[in-house]
Amino acid sequence: MAEKFSVIGKSIPAKETKIKATGECKYVDDLPTDLHVKILRSPYPHAMIKNIDVSAAEKLDGVEAVITYKDVPNRLMPRGCARALYILDPHLRHVGDEVAAVAAISESIAEDALTLIKVDYEVLPAVFDPEEAAKPDAPKIYPEGNVYGPQYEPLHEKGINAPTLLEWGDINKGFSEADVIVEDTFEVGPQIHAAVEPHICITSWVGDELTVWTANQVPYEVREGLAYVFEMPESKVRVLSPFIGGGFGGKYLNRYHAICALLSKQSGGKKTKIRFTREEEQTNSKRFLSKQYIKIGAKKDGTLTAIYFKGYADLGGYGNFFGNSGFWGEYPAAAYKVNNSRFEGWDVHTNHFTSQPMRSVQVPATVFSVESVIDQVAKKLNMDPTEFRLMNMPQTGDVMPPLPYTANTVGYPRAELEGYPSKKLMKLVKDELGWDKKWKGWGRPVEENGTKKRGIGIVYSGYEGGFCHDGFMSMAASMNKDGSINIMAGTQDLGNSSNMTMCQLAAEFMGIPLEDVNIFTGDTSIGQYDYFGARASRELTTGGHLLLKALEEIKQKVRIIAAPRLGVKPEEVEIKGKMAYVRTKAETDALKEAIPFAELITSSITAGASGEPGSVFPETAPGKKVRNSMVAGIEVEVDTETGEVKLLNMVTANCPGKAINPEVVKGQYQGATIMSLGYALWEDFVYDENKRAYLTDSFTDYRVPRAQDVPPLKTIVLEETPDRPPHEGTPYGAQGVGELGCWSGPAVVASAIYNALGKRMQKSPMTAEKVLELIKEGENK
Amino acid sequence: MEAVSSKIVNILVNGNNYEVTVASNDTLLTVLRDKLGLTGTKFGCGNGECGACTVLIDGEAVNSCLVLALNCEGKEIQTIEGLASSNGDLHPIQQAFVDNFAIQCGFCTPGIIMSTKSLLEKNQNPTEYEIREAVNGNICRCTGYENIVKAVSAAAETLRGK
Ligand code: FES
Ligand code: FES
Repeated sequence: MAEKFSVIGKSIPAKETKIKATGECKYVDDLPTDLHVKILRSPYPHAMIKNIDVSAAEKLDGVEAVITYKDVPNRLMPRGCARALYILDPHLRHVGDEVAAVAAISESIAEDALTLIKVDYEVLPAVFDPEEAAKPDAPKIYPEGNVYGPQYEPLHEKGINAPTLLEWGDINKGFSEADVIVEDTFEVGPQIHAAVEPHICITSWVGDELTVWTANQVPYEVREGLAYVFEMPESKVRVLSPFIGGGFGGKYLNRYHAICALLSKQSGGKKTKIRFTREEEQTNSKRFLSKQYIKIGAKKDGTLTAIYFKGYADLGGYGNFFGNSGFWGEYPAAAYKVNNSRFEGWDVHTNHFTSQPMRSVQVPATVFSVESVIDQVAKKLNMDPTEFRLMNMPQTGDVMPPLPYTANTVGYPRAELEGYPSKKLMKLVKDELGWDKKWKGWGRPVEENGTKKRGIGIVYSGYEGGFCHDGFMSMAASMNKDGSINIMAGTQDLGNSSNMTMCQLAAEFMGIPLEDVNIFTGDTSIGQYDYFGARASRELTTGGHLLLKALEEIKQKVRIIAAPRLGVKPEEVEIKGKMAYVRTKAETDALKEAIPFAELITSSITAGASGEPGSVFPETAPGKKVRNSMVAGIEVEVDTETGEVKLLNMVTANCPGKAINPEVVKGQYQGATIMSLGYALWEDFVYDENKRAYLTDSFTDYRVPRAQDVPPLKTIVLEETPDRPPHEGTPYGAQGVGELGCWSGPAVVASAIYNALGKRMQKSPMTAEKVLELIKEGENK
Repeated sequence: MEAVSSKIVNILVNGNNYEVTVASNDTLLTVLRDKLGLTGTKFGCGNGECGACTVLIDGEAVNSCLVLALNCEGKEIQTIEGLASSNGDLHPIQQAFVDNFAIQCGFCTPGIIMSTKSLLEKNQNPTEYEIREAVNGNICRCTGYENIVKAVSAAAETLRGK
């Protein structure tokens, strides 16, 4: 259906980029405060506080409040899909865990006060490897054991160690039918979110009302958690998150919000601020560290017969946003058309700092290992790896997984893929990269020049990178008498222009100029809700969907008012451009009789939309499932003397469904892709067990990509939209865009290294040191 | 807990003279943000690693978190607030960043714009290599730098045309 759009499909810079460019934009750090907070952190990865004395700290001039675990409410603060926490706890579960906190009139006084706190620790044995930590005799980080069971069957509460499962077909039968089987194991390091803006929070109390300013992806989660732990109604907690200096999955409710609020309460309600140092920031949240076992079987003709996946993901001491394995498992469930598959995901606590999602849950690590084995199977079959993938990829219209689940402890529906042009994306990348000319066959690099070897790789990924579960969000819109629109959104703009995108959707849907739409977000007093917050592009997929539902209701209200005046039934009335007219007439005649809103409505008209209560995975389009697909290709040059990997040229092809704001969409892909190259090559996470210290606690030691590091990058965007009304299903067929760009970095670099060296990386990040280790290993894989 | 002494320092910021009392350990970043209320310059690391705090001192881009305010006596400082004209029109560099979608969360933006200003004052027609080199000290975790490079080229072109 070729439809002309006036507002969507146009690249429009977000309104606030202007004040971001002038420096007028007020982030939380730019707001005033009375007091500053510093946190005393655990020097041990696992310990119990035996004794703590804060009397000297309390006496220091300028100190207004000091708290330890003895001062906190005896209530566990709930967090969305994560372990509930005490505000402070004598049981310390990682280096840097919170021991005590001080609020003082300056940062330096608060720091001085920390040095006056005396603590006796009982040091406990620690465990850092998630596979080790899952064993029954591992040091116990929680009394019931370290394994956090499946999301919808929290067996850990009953002391049962169990993985998350997704299974269909018969895995043993699948392997018995295979002519070729490849098994391999992988270790993928964590990635630190490392936003440029550190975590930050300011709190103040006026009477029994608490106000919180925080750069946060889920302000309603902060409200819910704090209201519960302080035993107050949610209506008296206001959380504002005006602007966020980067989130990427790292900025959710955590202890520091409650610590700040409690200190503020104890100091008579004064504005109290925590801003993490860079060292704290780098040791606060990370993507999971994981170990993965993969086994894949295929027939001689290239048909996949079985995929087995077992993975251990490190949650750290606390974890955030659980059911991680479940989300992890969605990848194998979506990626290949295979009749027999089993996925076992173990979420395990360790004595590292917290893991949380980062531009998807565990997809880049999973793609790294699954695609590695896919390459090896293709090699055994002596097939071109891109052709092998093309044979086995699902695409739009395929039902995934191909057979009904026999085990599914996550709750994923089996449904038809929508907006998933995977094969077209593969062809685009092959052409752009010049694959057919460059690929010389297995065991033959693209080029060899002395110690330098060039290799090429293409990988594919498919996952739900914009989850549309509308049972957890509400949106409202108000049409003013002049026909302009105010949007009151439960969603949050992370700097990804989701607010502008939302305004574009509303303007298009109502047939009004973009300038007539305004959006209000980032403040829980707006009275909307969002439990999952700004993650996985839900702002667009779920928020946009609910917004259009609310606007459709407004249109319906106007239709009912206008119908008698036009002498037709409400369903014959068209609402567009601040007028009501008869849809069934030829447009020119209809417009002559159109009634302008000014003559029609006497008050603003408001409507809200939220999903079905209790719904977990509603399908926003019946029987359909929106999944994202992307293909990435890269050419690299490996220096066999140093192990250095030089990135020569990269191409990605991505499907956003409908690109509402094309340059914004492209910008999301580009940013994510470069972030994933950091994960692939340079962002190494180092914990020194002897020193009990994270050695990567600065931007010097933890190298995120800089402008000179990145290769020439071509980002291809291929739209594919379903044919249905814009307010049914994802808005105008738009899909999530923030995550998928980052799925393929480690996998595609490994694939190109495989072509260059004929050897397979089993560890990521692929630092020069690790590549050199591989080069020196004796035998070929 | 060392004793901290303080001193009066005269600085010229965005064309305005200020006389500020600064502690011996105050950085220029702290003085700009906390004493002069110029919060456009950001704190990202405090260690000279991220470039979010970039300002120009006598035309040179520096990390203001590494500069002691005491050492700024008589210096001419430009911050992001000094770029747009008084009627609110964006500076061509700022406009180019907006138009080229080079701003996502925006936390790195003031610093990168100041590094760009320093580059374009010395080199009106920089190559892509020179642009990347000039902003290499500024971390942007959001954009992947593609659109930043585009914005700097576009700004250079506009400024050359003036
Ligand atoms: S804050 Fe100065 S370089 Fe990061
Ligand atoms: S735009 Fe977010 S760090 Fe650059």
